[in-house]
Amino acid sequence: MKLGLSKRQVALIALALAVAIVLPFAFDARGYTIRILCLGLLFAAMAQAWNIVGGLANQMSLGHAAFFGIGAYTSTLLLIHFGISPWLGLIASGVLGGVAAFAISLPTMRLRGHYFALATLAFGEVMRVIGNSWSDLTGGPVGISVPFAKPSFVMFQFADTRTYYWLMLAAFIVVTAVFVAIKHSRTGYRLQAIKENADAAEVIGVDTTRTKIIAAIVSGALTACLGTFYAQFQYFFDPDTVFGVASVSIRVAMIAIVGGIGTAAGPLLGALFVIPLEEAANQVFSAQVAGLAQLVFGTLLIIVILVEPRGFIVLWQRLVARRKPGGPS
Amino acid sequence: MAVIQAILDGIMIGGVYAVISLVFGVMGIINFAQAEFLMLGMFVAYYAWAWLGLDPLIAAPLAFVVVFALGAVVHQLMIRRVLQAPVVAQIFLTVGLLIVLENAALVMFGSSFRSVTTPYQTSALQVGELFVSVPYLAAFLMSVACGVALWLFMRASWFGRAMRATAQDPMAARLMGINADAMHRLAFALGVALTAFGGAVILPYLTVSPTVGGQFVVLMFTVVVLGGLGSVAGAVVGGLAVGIIQSLSALAFPIQLQNLVLFVVFIAVLALRPEGLLGGSR
Repeated sequence: MKLGLSKRQVALIALALAVAIVLPFAFDARGYTIRILCLGLLFAAMAQAWNIVGGLANQMSLGHAAFFGIGAYTSTLLLIHFGISPWLGLIASGVLGGVAAFAISLPTMRLRGHYFALATLAFGEVMRVIGNSWSDLTGGPVGISVPFAKPSFVMFQFADTRTYYWLMLAAFIVVTAVFVAIKHSRTGYRLQAIKENADAAEVIGVDTTRTKIIAAIVSGALTACLGTFYAQFQYFFDPDTVFGVASVSIRVAMIAIVGGIGTAAGPLLGALFVIPLEEAANQVFSAQVAGLAQLVFGTLLIIVILVEPRGFIVLWQRLVARRKPGGPS
Repeated sequence: MAVIQAILDGIMIGGVYAVISLVFGVMGIINFAQAEFLMLGMFVAYYAWAWLGLDPLIAAPLAFVVVFALGAVVHQLMIRRVLQAPVVAQIFLTVGLLIVLENAALVMFGSSFRSVTTPYQTSALQVGELFVSVPYLAAFLMSVACGVALWLFMRASWFGRAMRATAQDPMAARLMGINADAMHRLAFALGVALTAFGGAVILPYLTVSPTVGGQFVVLMFTVVVLGGLGSVAGAVVGGLAVGIIQSLSALAFPIQLQNLVLFVVFIAVLALRPEGLLGGSR
């Protein structure tokens, strides 16, 4: 596997990592800022998982909330009913998320473009309706609480928010490693071929359906695992939150797109921009008018799409190229 | 008898579904924000009733005109710019529009549910053992009238013919001196305006709130996918089918699972007819 990173890039990544690890010490351990950072990293990881399907295979999923919610409910229900540690629940979440991704892949994998987006959107909504209706299992619309235990690593509960931060950071790094590994693997090049021209890829012998299903399963499983992280971080959630179209599906896709779709750094850039902006907008506006923060969010999405649909990374490259003629464009 | 009654109700509401989906997805762009224009149509009709005392059925043409103008502006400012862009840009532009419209409505109108009162709201006609709800019937008849008018427009007028020509082959249309961009804008505006018209005529039996669009998104997609994109006959068949499916599933399932049946039908139709009904390589 050859990543083709220059020495300068390696140094930059190492530096960023070092800063990311020590960053929590700059903030109040039980404060608000550190929680925002945690959510930012979690959503960066989710956007990265989405990126495997959306960025590499060019399949615009609008249904990733389905996997996220499955993960959140799986580990939480196992914990409530059987007292199983969320770490084992995490594995169960990943397996179920992968199975769900496989199940929805079968009917949708031959769809392209808008139709794939529509089908996955409907799938996410199916899961949301089930989550709200099957009250015996999920507790229904009132939501579900993760039972509070004495903080310990085994029970995935911590008094110190910084511990969550490092876990989220680790999750992001793992998902990013998977993304990079897939991108530079045989499967990654097949996905690339499918993205450029699906028909041509098929002709030269790429099993497009199989390749896309592999990508979908990995992406779905990772997203479900992150659902467990979310449950253990928030302690409370309901179907409309974890299965939500706007709150999860659109948001993770948007983060990847705003940052730079198909790139490893894009989801992190996007999340570090979108999540704090949203929180700030909520802080400033929500007390006065409901919906204003979301309005900002939607407007931002439209602006990014109209200015540079390939996201911040390409925008940055364009600006650099303009400043020094002859540079990479 | 309950089944026949359900089918009858299904036809009534399905006629409206056909109209709100008529010019939807024509010219290759699927507008995820389409249902938000239905919500806007409902609000136009609501305020026409609240301020001017107009019946929603009379205010429907007003909703059509207002949203037509809005649609033309939206096309000029946004949609036009992504026609040649990658699919990701097309999808997420209209997704962004969905978020903006829904929340702009929330900011302007508040989150409360509103409804109108009309003299015929609770009345029904009895035909044998069947009942025909008057607001359903009125919405259905208005939709039929609107559909026929559109069909005539598409058949007989120069604009209608030019629009169909552009949809078939933009390049050839251009060579014939048709302004393809203007036709595209017209098609988009017409599509959202019809949806708004549908929103106005169903107001007598529904309540409106900024989030009402969410109930219609998958429904409208199901109609077009069932019937075929950009086909008037297809939209009628798809609309009636969806109305009947919805109405029948209400007999068998609790109310909160009603949409579930629709979603499953939707995914099944997509799966059995990949590429939707265009059949091309889009």
